[in-house]
Amino acid sequence: MTEQNQLDILQNSLQDQKTKEAYFTASQGQLVWARFKKQRAAMIAATVLVILIISGVLAPFLSPYDPTIAGRDKDYLNGAPNIPMFCDKNGCSIRPFLHTIERKRNLATNFRWVEKVNEDERRYMQFFVTGSDYKLLGFVPGNIHLFGINEGFVHLFGTDASGKDIFSRTLHAIWTSLQVGTLGVFIAFVLALLIGGVSGYYGGWIDSILQMLTDAVRTIPAIPLFMAIAAFIPQEWTAEMRFFFISLILGLIGWPTLARRVRTHLLTERNQEYVLAAQLCGASSSHVIRRHLLPSFTSYIIVDLVISFPYMVLSETALSFIGLGLKDPVNSLGVMLQKVTSADVLLNYQWYFIPVIFFITLVMAFVFVGDGLRDAADPYSDNKK
Amino acid sequence: MLQFGKFVLTRAFLAAFTLVIISLVVFTLMEFVPGDCAERYLAFKNTQGSGISVEDIEIERKRLGLDKPFVQRWTLWIVNAFQGEFGDSCILRVDIAQLLGTKFWLSLGICLSSLVLAYMIALPVGIISAASSNAYLNNGLKLISYLGLAMPNFLLALMIMLFSTIYFGDTLTGLFSKEYRDAEWSIDKFIDLLKHAWLPVFILGWSATAFALQTVRALMSDEIGKLYVTAAAARGIYGRRLLWRYPARHALSPIVNSLGFDLNRVFNELPIVALILTLTDAGALLIESLARSNDQQLAGAIIFLLTATIVSLNFLTDILLAVLDPRIRKSLVH
Repeated sequence: MTEQNQLDILQNSLQDQKTKEAYFTASQGQLVWARFKKQRAAMIAATVLVILIISGVLAPFLSPYDPTIAGRDKDYLNGAPNIPMFCDKNGCSIRPFLHTIERKRNLATNFRWVEKVNEDERRYMQFFVTGSDYKLLGFVPGNIHLFGINEGFVHLFGTDASGKDIFSRTLHAIWTSLQVGTLGVFIAFVLALLIGGVSGYYGGWIDSILQMLTDAVRTIPAIPLFMAIAAFIPQEWTAEMRFFFISLILGLIGWPTLARRVRTHLLTERNQEYVLAAQLCGASSSHVIRRHLLPSFTSYIIVDLVISFPYMVLSETALSFIGLGLKDPVNSLGVMLQKVTSADVLLNYQWYFIPVIFFITLVMAFVFVGDGLRDAADPYSDNKK
Repeated sequence: MLQFGKFVLTRAFLAAFTLVIISLVVFTLMEFVPGDCAERYLAFKNTQGSGISVEDIEIERKRLGLDKPFVQRWTLWIVNAFQGEFGDSCILRVDIAQLLGTKFWLSLGICLSSLVLAYMIALPVGIISAASSNAYLNNGLKLISYLGLAMPNFLLALMIMLFSTIYFGDTLTGLFSKEYRDAEWSIDKFIDLLKHAWLPVFILGWSATAFALQTVRALMSDEIGKLYVTAAAARGIYGRRLLWRYPARHALSPIVNSLGFDLNRVFNELPIVALILTLTDAGALLIESLARSNDQQLAGAIIFLLTATIVSLNFLTDILLAVLDPRIRKSLVH
């Protein structure tokens, strides 16, 4: 055996030891991340999800116009999407441009507005333009928009019946739906931890009563209940009040599934030796719960939160869809979906469907990420395969 | 046998208790609706041209028994509800039991058939996909089933309607053809119903299938890794026989247990699909009574009927599980 060979073997074994050591000393988070990275579908979904969330957060900056009636283009109602181009019959340009549209109404057109594209005149896209004022995340003021056009309007996804830019509305809608979902999940989560935790930790008759309550709530069909509660919202409530109320309802109804899981987990964990050891050492209930029991299933809880998120978004959509949730001046995905239901839209204005694609993508991304996280958080998932 | 009887009794008591809690919730919610039945009725009369006064409202309240205390009215309501009497609708002024009647059974039928459809597909497919190690098959199934979850039902309904209107010239809406709508029940009417009902069943069934498939797969892949399956395989049992006789039997019991909640989920989606397909069933009535007219009496009756169905289904599946699985029967008695 040559010297070089021996050195190689030594280095390899050192390398091995290092990876092993890294494996044994890794924190729970690092292990989960390492397993998560291996799943291609979940990684793609995570990327998509991050992009969607960022575009939701930065919606006011990324969208060229105000999504409310203030930003409407009154000369372009139900207008088709404008697709910026680089080349036309007069040659190419590096800066993307649109053609000018001329609207005419006279005897020849039977006094109806007729739009004609003038292919010789170009309107160039501008970047980082100054436009309508906005507040990022509700407090960072600004008026710079990522893109705009030097004259007139640019509508990447077309406009709706009142001339509002569908691209801007979609981005803002993602943000609203995410907010409703987060708030709903948060309320459900706190309730689930409290109720599931108490019933799982104490067991006995407290558990029986709380379980009966949980089952009762689970038995009531959610959407009819949503509808019943949402019907009480007075018409004169502002958009914000409606928004919080809807999130509150979503949370109040969404907790039983999570609470059940927390309880089941606690019931098995509380009989483990380490809990008994802590109790024998004189640790109080709250100490045992905080220091020993909660950390034992944080990863499960995170996974459950991610999984229940799309259902919150779906419920919000369903509620807004039947006209009981958020309403038109607010942009949520449910409000956007409601618009596609008329036959007129189906046959003539297909660009109303673009938000639907975003909606499906958002829900799918969440579900795939949740699925990947579940596999990654389960330490035995490798052994099974 | 005695033990089993005791188990059934405990469960029946629990189910009845759950129903009482739910009725309290529903009744309280109905109370919260702004305005009461008397005001609503007289407001309606007012639009017909007859003048009303505050005294008229008071008299009407007395007639409807709305002046009695909350607990008394709730007791009366729940006692009547268990007998299938829900009083008159606030707006439509007809007996609710009569109004709902067949409509409720039709809705229930649609929901149950889509649930059956869902499990007929989800059980075999879920078991096979959990057992196979084919990555393409698994990912493909995952994608389809998640699409079923993410794609809103009403959108699917709309697309199918549009497609059929353009290519077949038939809108596929409603549950009956015109000539059968008010006809007496007969074989022909039933066939006509089947011709129309497949679409809502299919639409509701799709997302239910997606959900069921996910559950079946997760449960099966949990069970398949367990030692008793390995032991059975070591004894020389293989293939379908191994799957169906060992892990599938274990995976089945949580599924049977959650059937009631599955029905709940399908019920949930019925109103929206019904709205799009203009079905004249309980779901559509619910939307009508809540969103448009605030008819709390009718809405309360429908929600109560729905939950009663789910609770009874839960009760039945509990009994069924106990018959199938002695572990459950024994664990619950003491």
